[in-house]
Amino acid sequence: MKIIPYILYLFFLALHLIITKDIIVIYGAGIDMAVLIITLIALYKSETTTLWFAVCAGIILGSVRLDLMTWEILALVIPALIVHQVGTRINLESVTSRLILMAGFLLIHQSIIALVISGSDFLTLIYRTILPGAVYTLIIGGIAFQILDGRITWKKIKALF
Amino acid sequence: MTWFSTIFQKNRRFVSYGLAIILFLMIALSPRVVRPLMGNVCSSLFFYPFSELKDYVLELQHVARENRTLSKQLTEASLQLDLLAEAKRENQRLREVIGFEPPESFRLVPVKIVTLYQNIYPVAAVINKGNREAIRIDQPVINRFGLVGKIREVMPDFATVTLLTDPSNAVSGRVAETREIGIIRFSSDKGMYLDNLPADSDIKPKDLIISSGLGGVYPSGLSVAIVDSAMANRGDILKTVYLKPTVDFFKIDELYVLIGGEK
Repeated sequence: MKIIPYILYLFFLALHLIITKDIIVIYGAGIDMAVLIITLIALYKSETTTLWFAVCAGIILGSVRLDLMTWEILALVIPALIVHQVGTRINLESVTSRLILMAGFLLIHQSIIALVISGSDFLTLIYRTILPGAVYTLIIGGIAFQILDGRITWKKIKALF
Repeated sequence: MTWFSTIFQKNRRFVSYGLAIILFLMIALSPRVVRPLMGNVCSSLFFYPFSELKDYVLELQHVARENRTLSKQLTEASLQLDLLAEAKRENQRLREVIGFEPPESFRLVPVKIVTLYQNIYPVAAVINKGNREAIRIDQPVINRFGLVGKIREVMPDFATVTLLTDPSNAVSGRVAETREIGIIRFSSDKGMYLDNLPADSDIKPKDLIISSGLGGVYPSGLSVAIVDSAMANRGDILKTVYLKPTVDFFKIDELYVLIGGEK
């Protein structure tokens, strides 16, 4: 396992948390970058890589609020391993099927954290933040899958202009 | 150690899971030792560099904002100083007279140059504010060094400024010390010069030339130029006075439109 790209992904995650998250938020809906990166790793890389990357991402997300560290790790590792297992067992040729898996992961992660942070406002958080955030992340995820599948390339973008 | 290596290789998946579970249990069961340690390592390794970068950018933005504010204040202070110096001179001349008019009151509107029209010298500029910001034709434009020009045309969000370096833009000027009046002109071959000054004038190099206030466009007392050289040959009626503008027209950036001036 080459470790350097994953360390760079973790730095990218930290960069997103500190700088870009606030900039690209739209009406309270932000991108769940951790879930986005972990889903991509779970679908394209090995189980061990997925496990350790999810643990490290959970620790990094939990560093912002130490009391949530264990919940962050659980809410990232378990769905990530499920996504990996599903990805290795069923045919995920279409982008839609991969996006559905990502949507499930997003909803599980966001819901667990929302339930732990504010149990009473959970329903409000669902339609105010979680669902719009999931849609936003899925749009970015869809673009990422199109790029990974070679459907969006620099050559094609240049041909448009 | 070979037996350990063999077990690790054969059961890599389970070892990996085992280590992850041990790490998770340590984090979960030791909220006062392991969790803060992990948090500290992650914060100093991953968050600190980006946090420093963000702070640096925010500080730069803050400094830029503060710089703009201070620049505006400096220009206001410089304008006040010019007006006060002029008032002092006026006071010295007219100290026996009672009941002066109150000093003129102005408001400064900061503007930025969008484009600069150059013909050897910069002669005109387009600024980023127009009649939506109460900019009107013939309002004076200054910077912290002195008079720059006047508004020539006004659009809703932009305006054009005729600079003092435009040969068609003449300003009535006054020698600050001697109170003599002349016309400040600019030509590409002579540069800035003071016209219509009698040959017997007491003007000398380094004298300050200010706007006279005559003509009603520019208020009196704004710094315009410093006398570079003054000469008159025998038999001449007028003195030839070359000036050095107080404003460097090649380096103008932030300008201020002077609004108001009601007495």
